[in-house]
Amino acid sequence: MLELIDVSVAYGNISALKGINLRAQPGQITAVLGANGAGKSSLLKAIAGLVPVVSGEIRVNGRDLSRMPAHLRAREGISLAMEGRRLFRGLSVEENLSLAWSFGPRSSPFAQALEQVYDAFSILKDRRHSKAATLSGGQQQMLILSSVTIREPAFMLLDEPSLGLAPLIVAQIFKFITDYASARQTTVMLAEQMAAMALKVAHHGFVLRHGQVVMEDTSQALTQADVVTQLSAAYL
Amino acid sequence: MGFAAGLILGGISVGSVYALIALGLNLTFLTTRTLNFGQGSLMMLGAVAAVLFAGLGMGLYAGLLAGVVLAGLVAGLTEAIAIRPIARIGGSMGWVVTTLGVGIFLQGFVAKYFGSQALAFPSFLFSPRDHISVAGVRLSAQYLVIFAIALALVIAFELFLKRTAWGRALQAVAMDPDLASVMGIPVRKVVTLSFIGSGVLAGIAGMLVAQITGTVDSAFGFNLLIFGFVAAVLGGIGNTWGALLGGVFLGVAEKLVGGYISTAAEQGIAFALLMIALAVRPEGLLGEKEIVKV
Amino acid sequence: MNALRQVVSRLLGHPALALAVLLVLWFWPGFTDRGTVQLLSFVMLNVLLAQSINLLTGVAGQISLGHAGFFAIGAYASALLTKSAGLPMPAGVLLATAITALAGWLLAIPAGRVKEFYLAMMTTGFGLLCYEVLKEWADVTGGVMGLSGVASPTLRNLVVLGWKINAVDYFHLLLLVTALVLWLMRNFVQSHHGRAFFAIQASEIAAGSIGISPGQAKRRAYAISTAIAGLAGAFYAHLVGYLGPDSFTIMRSVEVLVMAIVGGMGTIVGPILGAILFTYLPEKLQAFAAYQFMVYGLILMVMFLLFRRGMAGAIAEPARFIPAQALKAVAMNTAPASPRIDAHPAPLADTGQPLLEVRDLSKRFGGLAALDGVSLALRPGRITALIGPNGSGKSTLVNVVSGIYTPSAGQVLFRGQDISGQTHHEIAAAGIVRTFQDPRLVPSFTVRENVLLGAHLQFRSSMLASALRLPSVLREEKTLLTLAEEAMAVAGLTGVADQLLDALPYGYRRLTEVARALMADPLVLMLDEPAAGLSEAELGCLANVIRHLKARHKSVLLIEHHMDFVNDIVDDVVVLDSGREIYRGDMQGMRRNPAVIEAYLGLQQAHHA
Repeated sequence: MLELIDVSVAYGNISALKGINLRAQPGQITAVLGANGAGKSSLLKAIAGLVPVVSGEIRVNGRDLSRMPAHLRAREGISLAMEGRRLFRGLSVEENLSLAWSFGPRSSPFAQALEQVYDAFSILKDRRHSKAATLSGGQQQMLILSSVTIREPAFMLLDEPSLGLAPLIVAQIFKFITDYASARQTTVMLAEQMAAMALKVAHHGFVLRHGQVVMEDTSQALTQADVVTQLSAAYL
Repeated sequence: MGFAAGLILGGISVGSVYALIALGLNLTFLTTRTLNFGQGSLMMLGAVAAVLFAGLGMGLYAGLLAGVVLAGLVAGLTEAIAIRPIARIGGSMGWVVTTLGVGIFLQGFVAKYFGSQALAFPSFLFSPRDHISVAGVRLSAQYLVIFAIALALVIAFELFLKRTAWGRALQAVAMDPDLASVMGIPVRKVVTLSFIGSGVLAGIAGMLVAQITGTVDSAFGFNLLIFGFVAAVLGGIGNTWGALLGGVFLGVAEKLVGGYISTAAEQGIAFALLMIALAVRPEGLLGEKEIVKV
Repeated sequence: MNALRQVVSRLLGHPALALAVLLVLWFWPGFTDRGTVQLLSFVMLNVLLAQSINLLTGVAGQISLGHAGFFAIGAYASALLTKSAGLPMPAGVLLATAITALAGWLLAIPAGRVKEFYLAMMTTGFGLLCYEVLKEWADVTGGVMGLSGVASPTLRNLVVLGWKINAVDYFHLLLLVTALVLWLMRNFVQSHHGRAFFAIQASEIAAGSIGISPGQAKRRAYAISTAIAGLAGAFYAHLVGYLGPDSFTIMRSVEVLVMAIVGGMGTIVGPILGAILFTYLPEKLQAFAAYQFMVYGLILMVMFLLFRRGMAGAIAEPARFIPAQALKAVAMNTAPASPRIDAHPAPLADTGQPLLEVRDLSKRFGGLAALDGVSLALRPGRITALIGPNGSGKSTLVNVVSGIYTPSAGQVLFRGQDISGQTHHEIAAAGIVRTFQDPRLVPSFTVRENVLLGAHLQFRSSMLASALRLPSVLREEKTLLTLAEEAMAVAGLTGVADQLLDALPYGYRRLTEVARALMADPLVLMLDEPAAGLSEAELGCLANVIRHLKARHKSVLLIEHHMDFVNDIVDDVVVLDSGREIYRGDMQGMRRNPAVIEAYLGLQQAHHA
């Protein structure tokens, strides 16, 4: 289980997150919603260790990781896919996957792990030697997800994976995430601006505004029609 | 040996050593976007240490190894005291000054405790007089071996970078340090290792140059630093094959100018090539244009 | 502690002190031996050298590790002109200075276009090259044997205008020249030219956004700095009478840098202190000479981390960058009141013609289209919000319009003229000013000094006039300072006008950047996410500035995410998504527009609430 207890994050003088309290359960997808600048990315980065917390605790299965450097948190099973489709664009598909696998737990040999990836996304097999920069947006997102899953994470943090992608691809990606999470009992946190899509696959949702949690409920509750207006207000 | 052929071979050989220097500069540029202005002094340190350790009875090859190791360690130390503390402050003036400071300090240290006179560097790769006949042309053995060593190192480096996990990790840190760290790559360790590696390359380069010129003194680093930098710029900063190409091009140009015009003009050609490169194509032959991020 | 520093600052800046020091130095030789007079002359030369690098590196932020080369050019040029061409010494010195300035200016041409570390390597290379040339070009320079017999008091063969010059006379001459250079430099640094140099050090792009051309500023900085170094070189030649290449090695360049850094870069007093220290130490401390390089190395390694402001910074607050007389006049409201002359006269009323028009604009990065056929029109007196989710192209649009990127397709028309392809500072000069997501200001300036930078293009004084601080220069400073007061008042900054920027919290920095933009008197102001991180009060000040511009028929384009803020002040809204426009109209309409809601939320609005 992933727990945030009274977490605050600031960039110099600017406060990005104020006193965040939330929980994410294994095997479930927890959606983090909110407009730009609301603090979604800061939240995920803080959990991954890219951004220091000013106060509060980040508890993973009871242990506070808030002082641990990012690469060690990755070893603890926290895997972040950052916003903006971040990849090693100068490297090929297979090189990206090899890198991700090399610094992960490596419980199965690379060839095997690679086959699993290609089973899920056959298009990546076709383009295994292409440079990541030449892939389409959807293919890049598949590669990013595969780089995350090849490390067999206990905690998957995904920052706007649907950005700029066609609805069909988004559906494919979200299905993959859902299946993976329930099969492996992974804890997934999904930050999305596109609330509807996220809520369709999530079990639980938090809405952020100006660095604070302003709404929290099951995804079913959040998609009730009258709540949608409240959501709009939170965004616009 | 035919005059022109001799110059060209000499140029290729010297140029391949410039390529090693460029490689060392590239290595730290990749991981930290900095250039070690003390690189020249690391070269000098490696060569001087080799002479001294050998003189202490360690034997020549042990001395060479010790010199290389020392250069690597000092380079790692440079990262800790001159680069990392400055990274917090930002801007590019800081590390230029601090790494320059390390270089000046080393130069002063060697001059003070070992004198500023030139020390004779022993021949460990044939003697300058040995020649090999290739297709009826007599070529200097020393030049050939030096070229072979430097070329082997460049190839080894490129293989390391492209084919091993740590090499790819280095590329990763160069491309996107945040992304690298969330993938479990220990960025700080990679940075330190890159500096140690660049020190090792500098030490080797220093010894090879000392082998060619026959002597080493406390001041012999700065000129080489500039030559290494020009080689890196000509080929494209950060690019391994570019370093080789740029180095050889510079070496041959330098030797030809020296042979046909005058030795005085040798320094000038490096500078002239640098100015032309920066004016016409700053990203070098094999480099890529950097996009301004606003 | 601070009070003591203030006192020391006031003391150091007082003309009476300068005069006293001058007098003491003038009469000192009468009470001491030849050796000391020689030493004092060397101090003067080192002061000049240290100031030359201070101007280039400390003020303009361009690093040079090869200043020994320029020192050499000045020295050898003057020596040769007087020895071989028979020119009188003053002519030789002046010509040598001019030649060195030309060399510096030429070097600055490619230097202007590359990043700082390339520059550091280039200047190092230049210094080494000069050294090699001195050694090898024996026909001209005498090679390793050097050039001897140069007219100097040491050789008793220096005659100027019929007067035979001895060592004391030479020192007096050098003292006057140094004092003059220091005075000119102080005036220059406190003028808009000097402030522009600081601006390019802080951020070339931000400087460009208020019309300062970074390339031109760098060339000027190089030319002036190398002129001073050349002047020092010429005087060096005529002091010692003999020149050899070993006086112009890279160690010389390092020594000059150390003097300036230890003394304190960016101030006038600093390099003087550094020069004094490092002229005396090698002479008086034999031990020092033995460890000299090591000490210099350690200083360079450590100074940047521990004592950034040097000796001068340790004992006093730095002098400000606006002439004290002008500040006083404005404070007492005795500044000349002149009617506000608009830098760019705006159309008097809404003639219907847009000020800024973007037609079918596209911008591609590799395969990605950040902008895909966007059209936009900004009219005078209207405030337009540019909104959209992440990656929709808002910042790219502003970057293209302001000239940081060139368009892949389409046009940008300003007052009917196509401006696509112009440089960012040309566009700023024409009247389109922008701010940045991350405000780029000069951290060592006060709020007032930063705001005053915005008026850079409205200053008309030449560099020479500024260096001489002619009355017209002071008048101009006072006039524009008064306008700066107004700009600060609109932005709510009057209370912190004289505080240092890096001591202030973020909100003030944003407001200072906006006030600076206001000072530039733009016709079109583009603000990139200005509301982020601002408190309620600060948002009010920001709104004030925007409304101020609207009242004067200017156009404002506002990229924002902060919907509440936008709601209260905008007239029109344009929404982008994936590089295309998906809505144009007003705020209420936007809130109800299905395409917008879908872009943001992905939700279909099945029925209205």
